[in-house]
Amino acid sequence: MPSRSLRTGRSLGLAPVAWIAVILYGMFLLYPLVQSLFLSFTDKNPLQAGSAFVGLANYRELLSDDRLLSSLLFTMIVVVAVTVVANTVGLLLAIVLNRSSANYRVMRTLIFIPQVLSGVIVGFIWRSILTQNGLLNSALAQVGLIDEPVAWLGDSQLAVLSVCTVVSWITIAFATVVYTASLQSVPQELYEAARMDGAGVLGRFRHVTLPMIAPGTTISVVLCLITTLKLYDVVAVLTGGGPAESTQSTAFYLISVAFTDNRFGYASSIAMFLLALTAVVSYGVTTLLRRRETNL
Amino acid sequence: MSAPTTRPVRTGRPTGSAASAGTAPSTGPGHSAPRARSRLRGRSHLIGAWLITLAFILPVYVAFVSAFKKQDQIVSNPAAPPIPFTFDNIVNALSRPDNLVQAGLLNSIMVTTATLVILVPLSSMLAFYISERSPRLRGALLAVFALGLMVPPQVVLLPIVTLLRSIGLANSYAGLILSNVGGGYLSFAVFVYVGFLRTIPREVVEAARMDGAGDLRLWWRIVFPVVRPATATVAIFLGLWVWNDFLNPQFILGPLQGQTITTGIYVSLGAYSTDYSQLFGIMFLAAVIPVVGYLVSQREFIHGLMSGASK
Repeated sequence: MPSRSLRTGRSLGLAPVAWIAVILYGMFLLYPLVQSLFLSFTDKNPLQAGSAFVGLANYRELLSDDRLLSSLLFTMIVVVAVTVVANTVGLLLAIVLNRSSANYRVMRTLIFIPQVLSGVIVGFIWRSILTQNGLLNSALAQVGLIDEPVAWLGDSQLAVLSVCTVVSWITIAFATVVYTASLQSVPQELYEAARMDGAGVLGRFRHVTLPMIAPGTTISVVLCLITTLKLYDVVAVLTGGGPAESTQSTAFYLISVAFTDNRFGYASSIAMFLLALTAVVSYGVTTLLRRRETNL
Repeated sequence: MSAPTTRPVRTGRPTGSAASAGTAPSTGPGHSAPRARSRLRGRSHLIGAWLITLAFILPVYVAFVSAFKKQDQIVSNPAAPPIPFTFDNIVNALSRPDNLVQAGLLNSIMVTTATLVILVPLSSMLAFYISERSPRLRGALLAVFALGLMVPPQVVLLPIVTLLRSIGLANSYAGLILSNVGGGYLSFAVFVYVGFLRTIPREVVEAARMDGAGDLRLWWRIVFPVVRPATATVAIFLGLWVWNDFLNPQFILGPLQGQTITTGIYVSLGAYSTDYSQLFGIMFLAAVIPVVGYLVSQREFIHGLMSGASK
């Protein structure tokens, strides 16, 4: 029946609009995707006309690029830390805040605010807190906890920790809402039944809560991974990738290769690598967690 | 928390209100001592929950009060309330010679509105069109659109910049809006609409079709009103994402042609600014529209997130 309506001409009104949308999508997503792949085999420089085919040279360079490797290492640290922290804290917060009174509704509303602010604003808020003569150091000095300012953003290791903290902060806000939604879909009868069977707090958590929220866990974890893999805004504002490129994410490195070094060709090969990484990680983790859902 | 079997079954609580694993206080009707104890526990839980929430949201609080404090007040005691209260930061932010805030807000409103005004009807029509196709074609189209949900924006950015340059739309608002409409946002909108349309009984559409309504009119008279909850989700989330977007305006618009509020803040607040009174004044003005929008529409907001999350 649907396919006949296509032929009778009654759907003529809708088809052109639909195809305009498809064409725009082709222009601004599919074509750029293919073009990115194509560019990754060239030495394209936006300041010069034309470009030469260089084969796999860019991909060979990827393998021996120390800056890419260190950006990848940093990205992986942030991805793992943020995914673990955000999902653990998010679930705990959701459990604590999962009550129906007005107080708890207000708290849940407040918790989500970091998600509403842009990464740039979040970055500036935290930068004014964490910078050398920033608000955290001045507060710590006032209560006598430190004698001289701590370089939260100026020391390589502390800067990595700072970025992880800030990104976790943003992501916790998201995870809390997803886990709250999941918790609210768990039938109360299951808790009563578990209680009758003599299950304690941990037992009920382990045997009722965790299996019942498994689909929510999958969504929260996978979205944490995907968003953190393209980490850019917060790093740009908070540390600018520094000190000494210690907080340079792969997405940030890609942009600086493209627009500071003007190497679109090489940047495209990094883009292809980032795309493959995102696809493999999100597909792999989704499969893993879906299997876990059925096993729990 | 011991001896769970002796606990009376809870009564009078709406289901789904307290699903927390065992932390919910169980009320025991007729037993005054347990009831008093559980009320006490409820109150300490409430206080604890508020402390955690306030600690979590402290950076937002600091940013908010700092917008109404003088520089030395901000630095000497960041967490103190804004007493004495000053509007200077806001006034100064609005009277900058470069017009950063007003121009940025106006540009952001323009880009966000234009994107939504084009994207909402386009994506809902496309979703309706897709839903009406044969299962095989529908599956193929959805698979193609699923790509847009996953591709990091950095991956397609360079070809988009090059493409816009070649069609004469480099560094233009039209270019930014078009790439918003055609990119990953479209995928998100299509999936929200298709998911919602799946819950609509076929009879609703078929009955109108029997009356001889063409597809375009069918969409306008029947489909679009029915999918209003999905439209709310799409408009709220895409509005927020487009408003907060940093990467695309930064490189598609470029620094010379104008700024959205997000890129404007980034460029003008510089790398080493410690003029907090100015910084927080500007940030307050930049954040007030999305935050108020969130507070006003939070019911739809959370609902949209949940329905999206449960797919």
